[in-house]
Amino acid sequence: MSKKTYATAIRDVIAEEMRRDENVFVMGEDIEILGGIFGCTRDLYKEFGVDRIRNTPISEAAMIGAGVGSACAGMRPIVELMYMDFTLVAADQIINQAAKTRYIFGGKAKIPLVIRGQQGIGRGNAATHSQSLETIFMHFPGIKVACPSNAADAAGLLRTAIRDDNPVMFFEHKALYASKFEVPDDPDFCVPFGKADIKRAGKDVTIVGSLLYVSRALEAAAELEKIGIDAEVIDPRTLVPFDTQTIIESVKKTGKLVVVHEAHKVAGWGAEVVSQVVEGAFKYLDAAPIHLGAKACPLPFNIELENAVVPSVEQIVEAAKKVCNKK
Amino acid sequence: MAEIVIMPKQGLQMAEGTIMEWLVNEGEEVTEGSPLFEMETDKLTITIDAGSNGTLLKILRGPGDVVPITEPIAIIGEKGEDYSALLNSMGAPPVAENVESENETADEVTVESIKAEAVKVPRTGKVFASPRAKMLAEEKGIDYADVDGSGPEGLIIEKDVLEYAANPIQKTAATPLARKVAELENIDINNIQGSGARNKVLAEDVRASLSAGQTPVQTDVTQLDEELIPIKGMRKIVAERMKTSLSEMAQANHRITVDMTNSVSLREQFKAMGTKVSYNDIVLRCAAKALTEFPMMNSSWTEKGIILKKYVNIGMAVAIDQGLIVPVIKNIHLKSLDAIAKESSELASKAKENRLQPEDYTRGTFTVSNLGMFDIDGFTAIINPPEAGILAVGKLAKKPVVINDEIVIRMMMQLSLTYDHRTVDGAPAAQFLKRIKELLENPMLLI
Repeated sequence: MSKKTYATAIRDVIAEEMRRDENVFVMGEDIEILGGIFGCTRDLYKEFGVDRIRNTPISEAAMIGAGVGSACAGMRPIVELMYMDFTLVAADQIINQAAKTRYIFGGKAKIPLVIRGQQGIGRGNAATHSQSLETIFMHFPGIKVACPSNAADAAGLLRTAIRDDNPVMFFEHKALYASKFEVPDDPDFCVPFGKADIKRAGKDVTIVGSLLYVSRALEAAAELEKIGIDAEVIDPRTLVPFDTQTIIESVKKTGKLVVVHEAHKVAGWGAEVVSQVVEGAFKYLDAAPIHLGAKACPLPFNIELENAVVPSVEQIVEAAKKVCNKK
Repeated sequence: MAEIVIMPKQGLQMAEGTIMEWLVNEGEEVTEGSPLFEMETDKLTITIDAGSNGTLLKILRGPGDVVPITEPIAIIGEKGEDYSALLNSMGAPPVAENVESENETADEVTVESIKAEAVKVPRTGKVFASPRAKMLAEEKGIDYADVDGSGPEGLIIEKDVLEYAANPIQKTAATPLARKVAELENIDINNIQGSGARNKVLAEDVRASLSAGQTPVQTDVTQLDEELIPIKGMRKIVAERMKTSLSEMAQANHRITVDMTNSVSLREQFKAMGTKVSYNDIVLRCAAKALTEFPMMNSSWTEKGIILKKYVNIGMAVAIDQGLIVPVIKNIHLKSLDAIAKESSELASKAKENRLQPEDYTRGTFTVSNLGMFDIDGFTAIINPPEAGILAVGKLAKKPVVINDEIVIRMMMQLSLTYDHRTVDGAPAAQFLKRIKELLENPMLLI
């Protein structure tokens, strides 16, 4: 085990996988000498050269299009986007090409493509650079969606993503890059997709969150413990495939559910979780589940306002108290 | 804007309700969904919640008043609001003092606007429980309707069922206000004799025990190793109805023994075709046919006269944990045997699961009660008023009988008819019972 930051864990996995498989290469903006704006490819060009750590022009559609093409041709590309907000520029490449090519070619074309980058709040990057877009990509069959909440999950999930023969959208969180966590040194350490992780076991209420909201849910759980509520915190880790079963088993135990994410609440993935739980564990519910997400407002530039738009730890505590009928 | 609270209709058959207790005093605030008053119908006692927020400006009908449905019983509005126009417009209510001076404003209020106001019905007395609480109650064999809910809007949650299961003494029926008063005064509500419907403890009972300067002492029965079961709920209803039945009617009884051999083979034929028909269903079908032929057996004695009913609704007595209930198969004279079989089995399981609606056990015109499954040879049943008769069915058993001067073994069953001699004399009652016997012995006649 080594204690690493989230950014270093990602950089190390990219390097290890590039050493392991010569078909793995990275494309992105300013990833060569700068090492990407968060340092996830820092100094890698020195070891692997500029053919495998390739700078690209500012065209997400071209980057991802090239990724789909090279993946079809047998390479295992990792495309780094500076901001996952710009997946929308390349939506056709992702949704109509990457997600569907294998299907359209009757399984004959593999698309081992990883599209990774950061999203979310924390830096006051304003409306077009602070969004949480993971929900959108859950909607289209053909793409996997991973959302690591700490350095170990980032390492294990990224390795699984690179070795997967299907396109993976890999959502990192800008506010997590500096966070540190013990990461296994095993060069084959993989976190399986579709396996949720119980970050804190508890018996009174199930709180589901991902990315930044795993640590916020854990903070809320610590607050709840002071008033006698024992919360279980579950991180789905991948949204596609989604581990409904672990959550349902937890709700069977607790009878209460709070789902929280930074993505907008309306039609956010938390609604899907609530729907699955109501379908799968209705009679076990002791209170109507609560779904928290960002307010229906673009993310503000002002950092105080940014924080006001997304769910707070206090709101998670209040929601948990409400489902537990605790005044 | 002040609005009228009306006597709510709880169930199809309800025509009027009795106000038991106001849980909020005049001038106090009410919140939507919080208990407002308790009422009693001929079937049940329920707490009605306020349908809106505001101040309880005026109580129009006090405890003990019997009020027809949709009639005004109170006014809710803003504190200090002038509701005199509303008061006048609904006609002279019994307790309105200030009506005289405000008659002028009343004239301007149209009937339509009052109707619109009066439409706002308070939330019904339905009991809500979380799915988890329901599941747990079922596991523990608890009727969740007995449990007090502590969740949002009185929702019964898991914790409430667990507490109820751990402390069943809570079963003492009491109004929420009475509980609150008892809690504040630190009195054990279980020691207070209730004066409300079904011995429910009212707030005034708690106050009375307070002013008596003592919490009621334990009755001596516990020292004698006896237990005192309060008379309430279904026990009380059954007791009252049975006592009324015997004290008001002139009940007489006939018995007859029936050769069920042909009915047994009829049942076997149905069974062979994959349709489950019970002996009781065949008895129900035969009784229904006989009732159409002997309409006096299908009547009700009233002060005004004997009501002859042109429809036949037969109730079937079902024993349940809490006592006894009689779900009714409506218009049974129009139904085929397999339809009766299906309906009776549905009603019986609904009764056992406590899912019967008031419509399911009202408007019977005759009753069939069967104790054959308990190995009872025959018995005398008590009429379920206002019906005129009840048929008691004993067990089916092989018996030696004499047919054509030979002793043979036949499937025999005893029927016992209790009838109201005020309406039906001995001879027609005997003919009626004989007719049921004929039908059971020759079920081909049913066709």
